[in-house]
Amino acid sequence: MKLLLTSISLTLLLTASAFAHFQMLYTPESALGQGANIPLRLVFNHPFADEHTMDMGKQHDSAALSPVEAFYVVHKERKTDLLESLKQISFKGNTNEAVAFAAEYAARRMGDHLFVLQPAPYYEGNEDAYIQQITKLVVNVAGLPTDWNSVLGLKAEIVPMTPPYAVWAGSTFSGIVMSEGEPVPFAELEIEYLNHDVDLPTNSMGSAKVEAPHDSFVTLSLTADANGVFTFGLPKAGWWGFAALGSGSDDEYKGKELSQDAVIWVQAKEMK
Amino acid sequence: MKTFGFTLLLIMVFSVAAYAHTPLMSCFDEGDGTVTCEGGFSDGSSSSGVEFMVKQNGNLVMRTKMNEFSEVNFEKPKGDYQAIFNAGEGHVVTINGKDIF
Repeated sequence: MKLLLTSISLTLLLTASAFAHFQMLYTPESALGQGANIPLRLVFNHPFADEHTMDMGKQHDSAALSPVEAFYVVHKERKTDLLESLKQISFKGNTNEAVAFAAEYAARRMGDHLFVLQPAPYYEGNEDAYIQQITKLVVNVAGLPTDWNSVLGLKAEIVPMTPPYAVWAGSTFSGIVMSEGEPVPFAELEIEYLNHDVDLPTNSMGSAKVEAPHDSFVTLSLTADANGVFTFGLPKAGWWGFAALGSGSDDEYKGKELSQDAVIWVQAKEMK
Repeated sequence: MKTFGFTLLLIMVFSVAAYAHTPLMSCFDEGDGTVTCEGGFSDGSSSSGVEFMVKQNGNLVMRTKMNEFSEVNFEKPKGDYQAIFNAGEGHVVTINGKDIF
């Protein structure tokens, strides 16, 4: 009986860790016709299964959460710090709620607004290791392409080869996994569909839109080529998260293993 | 022949510039009684020097050119008006004042 329970717990643990952690940097619309004030939500969760939402900045040696390390936007090559605009919130997933952040940004000027979020490393107790996902989101105003494919030289970075706000559902998205401006050969990627509507007023996730036929469809996998380049077909409209695992230059934090990942969010649109 | 070749090349260059890219414009109210309009093309190229007009009831209120930053700032007219980005035939973008916030 004890053995059975241990096996069940092990299976549960392994199943839980099989679904990818994703740093969400969410806004409802990435392709704006005209300038607008846009809401942003920074949430660390599992976008497809939504079986657990994590407290951003959780540490192994302290109950206090570590603050976001960097949050800024690049527009026409000019960087604007947005750390001060962050407000701590409690975000409700379908199974629990956790510490997350909200912000509002005036995307008034024409062109690309390239957001970069570098959260504090998060301690994942199940693996006794830290995860830090350096995350990009591109919002475009009025169609003028300006900064979407900029190489920022981040420790971990996915540089898009397709504008991430101009992708038809059923077409493809390509990118290059980079670390400090250099391609990461054969980088491993995990891809998840944001399978829930995000309700901004209540800071919560809605119910699931689609059901995975098998666990292997929850988090999809892909390996980049020798030049760090990958292409993935997006079968459905909505937000898709791409995470290049362990692609960053740092591999240790507070004496523990660190997976420094690059994340980018891509919004596919229905052709109708 | 040389002139013909050069002319053909020029036509090709201008054809690409004129037709391959979509003209774009976006305007916002500065909140200080002025409006800023930004222009460009879908390939990311500059609209510096492109004609810009403001019209009211079909009458021309102002005519200028986009500056080196592909922008124009102008005093917001009272009542309905149109901001017009004129990059040539078939390449005109018009935004109604009531849609500028």
